[in-house]
Amino acid sequence: MKMQMTDKVFAIGSWLIFVTAGFAVAVFPAFQLIRIPPSDIARRRTPLEERGRQVFIQNGCTYCHSQYIRPQDWDHGAVRVSQAGDYVYDSPQLLGSERTGPDLSQEGGVRSDDWHLAHFMNPRFTRPASEMPQFVFLSHSATERFILKGGLIRDAKGAVADDEVTALIAYIQSLGGKMADARMKRLDVWRKAMQKAYLRGEDKNFAYIQTLVPEPWRRLPNPYPPTPAALQRGRFIYYQECVGCHGNFGDGNGPAAKYLFPKPANFSALRRIGASGGLLYYQIMNGITGTAMMSFKRDLESAKIWDVSNYIAVNFIGHSDGDTAPHGVDESQEPVDPNAPGPPDPDTINTPPPTSPALQPDQNAIWRHRRPTRGFPTYRTKKALAAPGGAVGHAPYYPPKGVKRR
Amino acid sequence: MKLWNQRFQLDRLLDDRPGSAARNWMISGAFWMFVGVTLGLLLAIFLAAPDFLGGHRYLEFGRIRPLHVNTVWYGFLSMTLLGAGLHYVPQLCRTTLYSERIANLAMWIWNISQVAGMICVITGYTSAHEYAEYPIPVDVTGLFALLLVIYVTYRTIDQRKEPLLYVSIWYYAGALLWFLTSWAFLGGTGQRYGVYDAVWTWFYGHQVFGLWVTPLAIGVTYYIVPREAKRPLFSHSLSLIGFWMLVTTYAPVGAHHLLQAPIPSWEKVIAIVQSVMLLIPVYVFLTNIWVTMRGRIGRIEESLALRFVVAGTIWYWVVSTQGTLEALISVQRLTHFTNFVVGHSHNGLLGFAGFIAAGAIYDVLPQVTGHPIYSARLANFQYWLMLIGQTGFFFILTIAGLIQGSAWLNGESVYRVLVELHIYMIWRAWVGTFIVMGAYVQFYNVVMTVRGARPQREEYEPVIGYADQELLAAQGLPAGNGYAAQTGISKP
Repeated sequence: MKMQMTDKVFAIGSWLIFVTAGFAVAVFPAFQLIRIPPSDIARRRTPLEERGRQVFIQNGCTYCHSQYIRPQDWDHGAVRVSQAGDYVYDSPQLLGSERTGPDLSQEGGVRSDDWHLAHFMNPRFTRPASEMPQFVFLSHSATERFILKGGLIRDAKGAVADDEVTALIAYIQSLGGKMADARMKRLDVWRKAMQKAYLRGEDKNFAYIQTLVPEPWRRLPNPYPPTPAALQRGRFIYYQECVGCHGNFGDGNGPAAKYLFPKPANFSALRRIGASGGLLYYQIMNGITGTAMMSFKRDLESAKIWDVSNYIAVNFIGHSDGDTAPHGVDESQEPVDPNAPGPPDPDTINTPPPTSPALQPDQNAIWRHRRPTRGFPTYRTKKALAAPGGAVGHAPYYPPKGVKRR
Repeated sequence: MKLWNQRFQLDRLLDDRPGSAARNWMISGAFWMFVGVTLGLLLAIFLAAPDFLGGHRYLEFGRIRPLHVNTVWYGFLSMTLLGAGLHYVPQLCRTTLYSERIANLAMWIWNISQVAGMICVITGYTSAHEYAEYPIPVDVTGLFALLLVIYVTYRTIDQRKEPLLYVSIWYYAGALLWFLTSWAFLGGTGQRYGVYDAVWTWFYGHQVFGLWVTPLAIGVTYYIVPREAKRPLFSHSLSLIGFWMLVTTYAPVGAHHLLQAPIPSWEKVIAIVQSVMLLIPVYVFLTNIWVTMRGRIGRIEESLALRFVVAGTIWYWVVSTQGTLEALISVQRLTHFTNFVVGHSHNGLLGFAGFIAAGAIYDVLPQVTGHPIYSARLANFQYWLMLIGQTGFFFILTIAGLIQGSAWLNGESVYRVLVELHIYMIWRAWVGTFIVMGAYVQFYNVVMTVRGARPQREEYEPVIGYADQELLAAQGLPAGNGYAAQTGISKP
């Protein structure tokens, strides 16, 4: 190959190639990308949230926390695959490049403010295996006092502790836009009820919380026998997930407890009123919304929740109903119970047992299960979103029946 | 008297002696590597023991991480590789540097912008764009230094006495222009919102590696390998293909950082296709270098610089092949967001560019100072420290990344996987100390060499000037400095 590489040839030639490529992939997309309409959940941030975003940027949170949900994600926040329209108010973008910690794009309204405060003071307080740095330097004691009085950290009436962690929590709670706002409203309603119940005393509080658990769960014994191996696994889970708030002795005096209101449950107090395995399972699974008790169903699979329920029941409540009647099917790998009745004679049973009305299929709920729109949204979706019901409702991220999206 | 003092100060600050600019840029580079790896070790310790140092505002992971990244690419790699260029460009042009003073001025400005950028980021003034965290005033300062380097480089090329331009110069002088453009545009086009900002961030972010550090390191490789292996370059045609394909394919790959993000599909398609096409310039370059080395691998025992550079080319093979694979959707499903990518970037910036920069230091520093390397034994020690450290990093982070990716695809939460990763974070900090020790040894060696300290014992024959003149003459090749002549040869 004969090519005379003079300075003009390589400098101008390669620069032109570079600029052409840069124009094609970085400048040209502007014509498409700056016309993206806000998505159904996008909204502008308040000044406090904007300040919190600055704190988020200054402390480099984006290096460990991504802010977009991919189609293959299962984790916290994976309730909605991110769309380009979610980010129209973000500058600079914080999509992130690494996920050392969970994705935060849908984090708003998932956990309570006091959980976040305890977590920022030291992430190991609420998440014992966390690798996150302490952010105790973002706070001053006013926040603690405010929390201990039982108020919300950030309050629309102006009772806002003026420190960085307050702004940061406000920003975290705004992630997810309108979807987060709806969740925050729900959180607020539940928080008020839970704080009121907590102040009525321990036994009344437990009784109240137990009424929130659906009746079949309350009657359900733990189907797993509390074998030493199961308790060992439960202990592993307990020390990985629960110990920060409920403490080594299950008395609710973990290191996070001083930041939380209502306080974490003292399991030994449950000895007085009892708790079935199903009740523990339900509350671990769904958490207690409005309090710092988070939902664990995305962290723990079913067997793990049953094991940790057994661990809590045996160690702190003093008794587990694991593997007691009703027995149902004797699982083939579990230790044999000589008193188990075994299967009934098929000839004696001719009709199925009655089904509870709650278990009837809900025909009206079908539309919620429609597939979300695939592909990249263009500015045309604005019309669809502006259509009646296009951006509101219980599940605002799926269009209700009759609204077409391209 | 006062005037004399001022003159004296000026001469110390803005040295006019030949070779002083290259020397000063490379000393700065070695210093920033010293700083950069120390910060990296701190980060690794934080990941293994997050309560280490007890939560201080200015020692917080998220503030140190951009410092580490920027110190390494902007401080260490850019300064070392630019310093090498300030030496080999005039030499390959058979002339002197147009102005040592201006190059030294640029060196000071670059260092000042690096220090200013570090202060800004650690106190919270950050632009939050990865690889471009330093705020706009710092960018402007750095751009000014880059403009000075461009001016000096092109004036030097202009006054050349060698009509043919060797391939190293194409890469070096080309990279200056490409990077100037993308850097100036990132800061200069105003505020961008949402995913468009993400597209821009990664367009720029990938230039830092692909069209800045890579061409500078390739230029050094083309400069060092033929001379130290005592072989003319294998093929001029391959050099040409490699050069033109590099700039054509590398520029639009940035969107492969956003394959699962909501950006337009056509952007992703371009990025993936170009990422696969990247194999061409990479393998063409490696073929050219390795075939030049054919039969001369034993030279790495005699030449410190060649040892580092050859190791660097092998890491280049690893990082580029890995990079192309990662840009495929099916692979990225597993690897994205994980430590696999962290391992990949260490392969690139430490394994490839870092090793070649170390080779450049050991090759160029004796030439510009006239002093032999203070201790070849220490340099050899550093080679093994860095090699063990980097290999360890590669395996540990790749394994950790695959664990993360598989667990996530299997439905485990990010938090749950942390427990499984902890042991790898401890390993990583431990292996990182090898790299840190290597950087300390290098800095010590550089300082002692520049000061002209006598080697402890005669253990290394310094190569000063051109060793291959006679060799070329013996092969009947045209006289000259050896390089320009080689560019006309397609077979040795």
